[in-house]
Amino acid sequence: MKRMARIAVLLSLVEELKKNGSWCGETHIQKTTYFLQRMLEDDLGLDFILYKHGPYSFDLSEELGRLRADNLVKVVPQNPYGPRMLPGRAWADLKETFPKTINRYAKKVSFLGHWLGNKGVAELEKLATALYVTKELNIEGGQRAEKIHELKPHVSLEEARAALNELDMQMDSVRELVAAV
Amino acid sequence: MGCSLKLFGGQRSLGEMSRSHGGTILRIIKQMTTKRFHEIRDPVAVFVKLDTAEREVLNSAPVQRLRHIHQLALTYLVYPGATHRRFEHSLGVMHLASRVFDVITDEENRHDGCRDIFPAVDELRYWRRVLRMAALCHDIGHLPFSHAAEELLPDKKTHEDLTYALIKSPEMERLWNTLTPPLNTNHIAKLALGQKELPMETFSNWEAILSEIITGNAFGVDRIDYLLRDSLHAGVAYGKFDHYRLIDTLRILPSGENNLSEPTLGVEAGGLHSAEALILARHFMFTQLYCHPVRRIYDIHLKEFLLATLPGGKYSADIRSHLQITDAEITTEIRKAAADENHPGHLPAVRISNRQHYRLLYERNPEDIKANLQSVQMVFEAACVEFGEENVRRDHYSKNAGIIDFPVLTPMNGIVSSWVLSEIIPTIPSIVVDSVFVSPLIKAKAALWLAKNKTDIIQRVEKEEEQ
Repeated sequence: MKRMARIAVLLSLVEELKKNGSWCGETHIQKTTYFLQRMLEDDLGLDFILYKHGPYSFDLSEELGRLRADNLVKVVPQNPYGPRMLPGRAWADLKETFPKTINRYAKKVSFLGHWLGNKGVAELEKLATALYVTKELNIEGGQRAEKIHELKPHVSLEEARAALNELDMQMDSVRELVAAV
Repeated sequence: MGCSLKLFGGQRSLGEMSRSHGGTILRIIKQMTTKRFHEIRDPVAVFVKLDTAEREVLNSAPVQRLRHIHQLALTYLVYPGATHRRFEHSLGVMHLASRVFDVITDEENRHDGCRDIFPAVDELRYWRRVLRMAALCHDIGHLPFSHAAEELLPDKKTHEDLTYALIKSPEMERLWNTLTPPLNTNHIAKLALGQKELPMETFSNWEAILSEIITGNAFGVDRIDYLLRDSLHAGVAYGKFDHYRLIDTLRILPSGENNLSEPTLGVEAGGLHSAEALILARHFMFTQLYCHPVRRIYDIHLKEFLLATLPGGKYSADIRSHLQITDAEITTEIRKAAADENHPGHLPAVRISNRQHYRLLYERNPEDIKANLQSVQMVFEAACVEFGEENVRRDHYSKNAGIIDFPVLTPMNGIVSSWVLSEIIPTIPSIVVDSVFVSPLIKAKAALWLAKNKTDIIQRVEKEEEQ
């Protein structure tokens, strides 16, 4: 995917998150983008590593800074949490330039917005780490919860299991969506 | 020899004592008179102190090689004073890392929400030493002229990969084992490189914090030292800030929404102004010095020279070869190539040696970005068509565009984002550089061409791809 098309998808996701009540901090955008790339299997070309609060892409962080410089993202303080990232004034033009691309991803973006838009950073961290353990470390079954707890000791085994249950349920529900694009 | 000591009330020469008591007493005296701590004068830190065991690491071939690696590549061709090397920077990073460690581990500075991450008191000495050695070695993998031609390593390797290999090399491993207590090589590698460069390693919260002390985006001492040092040597005052105050107010704090359990480096409210000054210094240093267009084009010419000159256009990733090559060898080759028309790197060598570098034609600007987000790309493509690719170069840099945020401990013991408390931080723009350069031979012609055609060029819009 070319950079500008990728940005169009990314910003449509940010817009959807905002619509669903997210305060759109960088962590929210990082985790939902990770879900888009790995759970919904869209190759956005971003490298994610396991970092503070779960999977994190330094490429994406740099990209968000560039988007800010290009007025595609505006960053405003959100008391008391920190910078909130919202589509900027140049977003409307970009949207007009890439209608087909945005439309192609609309269902996936809408699914993620509905599912993750109202979740806080702590919940997103658990779910995204659960996906990371499943997809990147290829761990199966009950061992996944132990691995999450090992990687993130502040997440209890019980919380890890709950996150995995939710993830597995959602993975089943998106099979059709993944096959569709 | 005139060496004498006042021992047990009497003054006798070393020679006399050794004659009367044999080798044993001489050994004892030698131990008593040998300095265990050493000071190195430094223009930024004033004195960098290290003990004898640490000095062995300083004397190792990988660290000594840094005496021959310019901190700022060919920047001295623009700012003549910027001839300092990675060696003194590494000493400075070690010095600052120790200061930060002492502040954040001080019992009085520990935040209740993070108390459980600190190791036991007797382990702190070990970790302080690991941190110092990691700081001293964090740059040993740097290629000649630092970042300028890093892409020329094979298989997408980076200088951090070489740092990792060197820290784990038998020569360095032997040194880690001679320290008291012996240091775990993996701990040093983790702290020197951080989570970003070692994604397959699992970091404990404590290891993550210690690596953040060196490599952190907001308060990493690597950054603190290079801003202060580069500013001093280049004669660019923008890089200065009150790092004494900043370091004294650094704290390990819970981070993010709901005070998440993974801690991070933040500041006490009293240090917010010095933190702002650091971020401003960083902004100005990037815009005025690191991204100076002439400095950037010299990097491009250097890369072209190395592509033409190195076997297969690549550096070796073998650490033995790495230790053999420094700026000195490359500089000699550039001078040779500039004088020899048959040298494969002749043209870029002439551009560097004879100051025939490409000239800035166009750079990213808010007005044109408003008209077309791809304006630089459009100008670059049009210039290539008009003047030929060999006469046009593009430089893009956005590595440090990311947003910096950190927790601030308020007087009421609450934790608030720096973006909420600071009036300055949210106003500091992201650092993005995007420029087009042309050969000096066509500069005047190209400037006229651009003035005439710019409006048309930047109105060209990228078409949406059909799936």
